[in-house]
Amino acid sequence: MSGYSETKRVHFNFQRRLHRRSMLRGAGVLMGLPWLSAMQNSFAQSKNELTSPRRLVATTIGLGLVSDNLYPQQTGTAYEPSRYLKPLEDLRDQMTLVSGTSHPGVNGGHRAEASILTATPIGSAGNAKNGISLDQYLAKHHGLETRFPSLVLSTGGNSSPSYTENGAMVPAMDSPSELFAKLFIDDSARKREIQATRVRQGRSIMDLVAEDAKSLGRELGGGDRDRLDLYFTSVRELEKRMAEAERWSRLPKPKVAASKPVDIGDPSDIVARTGLMCDVLRLALETDSSRFITLHIPGAGGVIPIKGVDEGYHALSHHGQDAEKLEQLALVEGAILARWGKFVRELGLVSDGDGKLLDNTSVFLTSNLGNASNHDNRNMPVVLAGGRYKHAGHLAFDRDRNAPLPNLYVSILQQLGVEVDRFATSTGTLTGLEFDA
Amino acid sequence: MLHLTRFRTWTAVYGGMLFVFVWVTILAGVNTAADKASEESSTEFLHQNCLDCHDGKDAEAGLNLRGFSRDLSDADVMQKWVRIVDRVRDGEMPPPDGGNVEAPVAKQFVDHASHWIVDFEKQQFGSVGRVPLRRLTHAQVERTLHDLLAIDVPLTRLVPTDPRTDGYTTIADGQPMSHFQLQSHLTIVDAALDDAFARAADGPHSKPEKRKLTARELSRVDPLRRCREPELIDDKAVVWMGGVTFYGRIPSTEATEDGWYEFTVRASALNRPREHGVWCSVRSGECVSSAPLLNWIGAFEADQREKEMTFVAWLPRRHMLEIRPADSTLKSARFEGGQIGTGEGAPQNVPGVAIRDIQMKRIYPGGDIDEVRQRLFGDYGKLLMSDDASVLSDAKAKIDQQIVAFMERAFRRPVTQAQATAYTSLFHQLLADGESPLESLKSCYRAILCSPRFVYFQESVGELDDYAIASRLSYLVTGTMPDDELLQLAKSGKLRERQVLIAQTDRLLQTPGGKKFVERFTDEWLDLVDISFTEPDRKLYRDFDQIVENSMLAETRAYLNDMLEKNTSVAALVDSEHTFANSRLARFYELSSPVDGDSLVRVALKKKDHRGGIMAQGAILKVTANGTNTSPVLRGVWLSRRLLGQTIPPPPSGVPAIEPDVRGATTIREQLELHRDDQSCASCHSKIDPAGFALESFDPAGQFRTKYLALQGGKLVSKLPIDSSYVLADGRKFEDFQEFQRLLLADISPIAKNFVEHLLTYGTGTVPTFADRNTIDSIVSQCRDDDYGMRSLVAASVTSPIFLSK
Repeated sequence: MSGYSETKRVHFNFQRRLHRRSMLRGAGVLMGLPWLSAMQNSFAQSKNELTSPRRLVATTIGLGLVSDNLYPQQTGTAYEPSRYLKPLEDLRDQMTLVSGTSHPGVNGGHRAEASILTATPIGSAGNAKNGISLDQYLAKHHGLETRFPSLVLSTGGNSSPSYTENGAMVPAMDSPSELFAKLFIDDSARKREIQATRVRQGRSIMDLVAEDAKSLGRELGGGDRDRLDLYFTSVRELEKRMAEAERWSRLPKPKVAASKPVDIGDPSDIVARTGLMCDVLRLALETDSSRFITLHIPGAGGVIPIKGVDEGYHALSHHGQDAEKLEQLALVEGAILARWGKFVRELGLVSDGDGKLLDNTSVFLTSNLGNASNHDNRNMPVVLAGGRYKHAGHLAFDRDRNAPLPNLYVSILQQLGVEVDRFATSTGTLTGLEFDA
Repeated sequence: MLHLTRFRTWTAVYGGMLFVFVWVTILAGVNTAADKASEESSTEFLHQNCLDCHDGKDAEAGLNLRGFSRDLSDADVMQKWVRIVDRVRDGEMPPPDGGNVEAPVAKQFVDHASHWIVDFEKQQFGSVGRVPLRRLTHAQVERTLHDLLAIDVPLTRLVPTDPRTDGYTTIADGQPMSHFQLQSHLTIVDAALDDAFARAADGPHSKPEKRKLTARELSRVDPLRRCREPELIDDKAVVWMGGVTFYGRIPSTEATEDGWYEFTVRASALNRPREHGVWCSVRSGECVSSAPLLNWIGAFEADQREKEMTFVAWLPRRHMLEIRPADSTLKSARFEGGQIGTGEGAPQNVPGVAIRDIQMKRIYPGGDIDEVRQRLFGDYGKLLMSDDASVLSDAKAKIDQQIVAFMERAFRRPVTQAQATAYTSLFHQLLADGESPLESLKSCYRAILCSPRFVYFQESVGELDDYAIASRLSYLVTGTMPDDELLQLAKSGKLRERQVLIAQTDRLLQTPGGKKFVERFTDEWLDLVDISFTEPDRKLYRDFDQIVENSMLAETRAYLNDMLEKNTSVAALVDSEHTFANSRLARFYELSSPVDGDSLVRVALKKKDHRGGIMAQGAILKVTANGTNTSPVLRGVWLSRRLLGQTIPPPPSGVPAIEPDVRGATTIREQLELHRDDQSCASCHSKIDPAGFALESFDPAGQFRTKYLALQGGKLVSKLPIDSSYVLADGRKFEDFQEFQRLLLADISPIAKNFVEHLLTYGTGTVPTFADRNTIDSIVSQCRDDDYGMRSLVAASVTSPIFLSK
């Protein structure tokens, strides 16, 4: 019944199964191929023993989605498509819409952006400490399997909903061309040499710096000691990451047929920016450069360049039920969702081991705002696609007494092979969402 | 009435018990022999006046005061208590229809609760300080490294921007730390050290190049090919006014390596309009469609008579200049297919720019090679740069001395023997491991620059020591590390002296870093860093262009610099009889006095100009709008928080806000009237909206308007007239923006107080708390006799106990 036992049966355990780095050292030439086919060709292991890696792509929207345009009237799989779902009709079987869920105790309107993936209440004052986000949790436990433990991306600016376990925001990358270079363009030999030297000396430097953080903590005392402890931990963590990065730097980066994209200058063109970023992150998945990816689409003040839209996106989100504003907002949100759908569709075309990339990727979309017009953080919009779930069409919970959304996070974590039964304020897995065998 | 009856019954049964419990807890540890009588009266106060509405699940505004938390260490709880006290103090609560409270009773409640909150905060200050351990921002690290190493390479562009909390990157609580942030720091440090050591080693930077590019060299190579480069006409390189992207690109100015360049341009106008010259933009970029972004360098007004202008810019390798007429009011030529054929522009009789020549020179604003060497090696450059490591063995003490000197500059204070040894040992260890002297030194500096003593402000709880004061003051005023004079004064223990501190502030404002104080501060205080975030709709706001935008920024900065320099009253933030403008901005503003030329000059304003004070300056009007339309709410909230010093709490949490139903309302005013019909919205909107409505007279691009504009079938049409009248929260009415200004001027102390609060937030790294209020009031009142002069307010702030303790 519960997803938990399903997961257990699959025996999805990264540590035992993969040892991927050691294999890759021998198989460097095959790096460019999608991971599974490379592995299968090289090692010809039986299908049962070798399960494809599971991945997460979380898309978060700063200004919500108008509920009536997103959710169908009916529940279950036999629904009449809503306005936003019409262009996604072909994905019906690959997708679950979850209504009536939110993060318990999370409020504060826009400030709750910080809680989208952490489900941690940080209060309207925004001063309480945040918890770890879903993607960073995965990156922490399984991120070292790939060159990049996680990718945190945005369509504009460095803000992200991704937080480390100490509650520090992970800054997002917002340039598709920089992301492309990071993923696929090798550093020069000289740069790698410098990198290697730095890592070699890094340990003694970091030892010294860490020691200094401790002694400064003693000198300053009081509450600052905690902050210096955090610095100390960060130093240690960085050292680990640098060593890891250095090992990866000895392997050539994967090569892809695509060329480096040209960034879009207009900060208001979030649909095109979303599209470009999705194209590059699809390549990241195909080459198994990272398995845990977050794409944040923050609200923008400007006018989104779509025919029929002449008011700023943020102003539109405060529609106050005004028909004209709602119509324009629907044009913007519909375009975002359609672009997201295109991305999902494309993942369904890429072979990945015994299935498609989409089968092995939980593609998840949500927002902190259930109703942007009044800054309501309840009834968050939630769409889940791919990832070998028994997709349930429209899975509706009580809109007045919301089910905890962190339950879905537990379901996702289990589906990704993490044996946990709690995340933030969860009370279990998400009722009604089953896993495909 | 029904409510009241039910409430009284409840009071009789439980009320007394509950309330005694609340106040005993509140006063515990504060007033141990808790004054029974005042407790009773406070009990009575809340009973009579608050629980009636603020009780249980359906409590007004979601504020349930039954069993309300008293844990002030919870920021949310603290915020609510402060708000309760403030609203009672201001007589806003209980509301007029919620019972009649006698003033002394309310005052007693306010006194008691204030005492409790202040006492709690003071206790916290005693153990942690007002501000937790604060980091240098990336921008501060960049400038500090420039000073430490005598380099000038831009560094912050390599890392994500620092997050802003309440507008500021300097707020300690908003500065995250994890391996991600540390990685960014290391990226900056490595780039700086790489640059410095490369220069010191007489690397590729050594030869300053200087080239004179003639008009022929600036123009297209093949006149027969249609392209986007200038064309040669009468020995000048000519670019016409036209819309083609990258038109005016000049490949011969391409940078062969990253660096600072100085361009001296001699140019004149062609087909100059009768009323003004031909305004041109100077930008840099790769100027190809695969790298379309262009960096702004500057602008000039080309005139009949040739003139010479100098521009300084950082050019990444492969960037070239683009120079072109860029005044959106000019008539534009049409070119087919996005390319310009030679001779196609001239017959169209549009304005153009004719460039005689450009002198291009590589410069090193950070310092020459000798200076870099001096910073890195002190007097031991020869020793350290020799290939023979054995000579170093005799010079151990000298090298150690240099490393310690570097540490003391980097840490902004003396170091102990133990601290010094830790870092000097690293150098010798690396040397022993076979690294070269330079490589060992670089790694040692790398460690020093990653030390928390470099990364953080070292401030101990209580009064700051002299070195901590030197750092605070220096980063506030100059944005970088303390200079030698400041450190010398710290060493001699003079920095706690009021006159010394004020004199140093004055001196620092005159340094190169200090002259940019206004720019750095207003980038965050007034959000000017976001000025380009949206682009006004070209179809609606046709006169706006990048030259106007940059002129607006320059206007506001010049205006505030002038206020600071002359110690002008902060009343000038609200209104004044002058501003600063160049000819382009004056034309955009339609000022009544003519302004000539492309440099910013002081202009006298007439009443009909509508431009007095910073609220009426384009930069402010633009950052408070989204490019297409204006919102009185957004502008109102912005002005309340940034200029008027009104606290606007976030919408109440816990209960969903009332969703405004604005169907049927045609203007923003009608929409907001509907919005305000709800009592819980009105309590804040009565404060927010007035300033926003007053500014309705200005469009999103910053122009004065009397009617809303709209596009109909591609044509601009005037719609409804602007109505900028409204009522202040205290009931005073105003008819238009100017009356609004006049009402504000009746008492400018809140404006002064707001300025001080923002300055101290920026300069100390935390938002003023409840316990700071008395100090801030006294800072402001000290300046009353100076009519709240801006310089006086700065001086009073940096000599206040808030600034001088952690």
